[in-house]
Amino acid sequence: MILKRNVSLATALRYKGQGPYLTYILHRIGGLGMAIFVAVHILASFLGGEIGGFLNDVYKNWAFQIFIFFCALFHAINGLRITILDLWPKLLDHSREAIWLEWAVFLPLFGIAVFVILSTALGG
Amino acid sequence: MQVTLKVFRYNPEADKSFRYEIYTLEAEETDRILDLLEKVKGYNDGTLSFRRSCAHGVCGSDAMRINGRNMLACKALVRDVGDKITVEPLLGLKVVKDLIVDMEPFFDNYKKILPYFINDSPLPADGKERLQSPEERARFDETTKCILCAACTTSCPSFWASDQYYGPAALVTAHRFIFDSRDEAASERMHIIAETDGLARCHTAYNCTLACPREIPITKAIGELKMATITGKVE
Repeated sequence: MILKRNVSLATALRYKGQGPYLTYILHRIGGLGMAIFVAVHILASFLGGEIGGFLNDVYKNWAFQIFIFFCALFHAINGLRITILDLWPKLLDHSREAIWLEWAVFLPLFGIAVFVILSTALGG
Repeated sequence: MQVTLKVFRYNPEADKSFRYEIYTLEAEETDRILDLLEKVKGYNDGTLSFRRSCAHGVCGSDAMRINGRNMLACKALVRDVGDKITVEPLLGLKVVKDLIVDMEPFFDNYKKILPYFINDSPLPADGKERLQSPEERARFDETTKCILCAACTTSCPSFWASDQYYGPAALVTAHRFIFDSRDEAASERMHIIAETDGLARCHTAYNCTLACPREIPITKAIGELKMATITGKVE
């Protein structure tokens, strides 16, 4: 009799894999976030009425827009990093620097987008 | 110094589920985690079970999760992990007892990639060695260092999701033979690793490279295999 060792999501998230593992997790969250956005968008058009109106309000909400922009931008930039490293494996010697570069590109772009979304939403 | 050692415990003959036991021990900063486990087994609880053999980072028996990360207990020092230490079995493999996991799925995957030298050509005229240049030998030097401790494979999220995935250790061994100029089964192995449970399941999480106690650039080796299977060229 042996104990079956299922790796739950909570256990997997607790693994201390450092920077690259964080980007791996955020990449999955990004993909899931975009799938949710598309689903909400389609459902809003398909259902219409009060439920459609409610879903419209959800994806037009500034907090949701910031979340979706985070998902899309991070997924795109991280995907680009992985694609480049997959095509030129020798660059994997500089994996750490590639992640720093990724954050250096992501953070200003995301910051500008958050500023624009917030000033549009809250500034009237 | 005093350290707190929290150890994953599971006895299949007595326990319905796992539990953690905490031991407070006197230790030196230069003690290894394996030394602490030996101390617990020798002085606190002789039923504590874990694998160990050479105790010098060569045999790969004592891979386990130490403070949430895969390491060899015989290479991890107290000063590197702190005075609050949690020791757990490797993830993704069934726990047999305490820190011992069932390694069968790991070795089953390893065997799939034909982990042995294949060359059916006649021996050279002098009947001696099949020679290769220092450059040809250097091409796969890194991947010869694998000790099959499973620290890489059991740190991989793709392996946690499916133990059918060959895993980084098997792919590292595939790299070792595919890039060996003397071996003649590169195309056969490339066909095997191009299967659904092979290279395609590597999503570049990089946990394997960081977990490897031999510092093998595993993700890079897998990247080279990906390119070799795409281009059909072993360079």
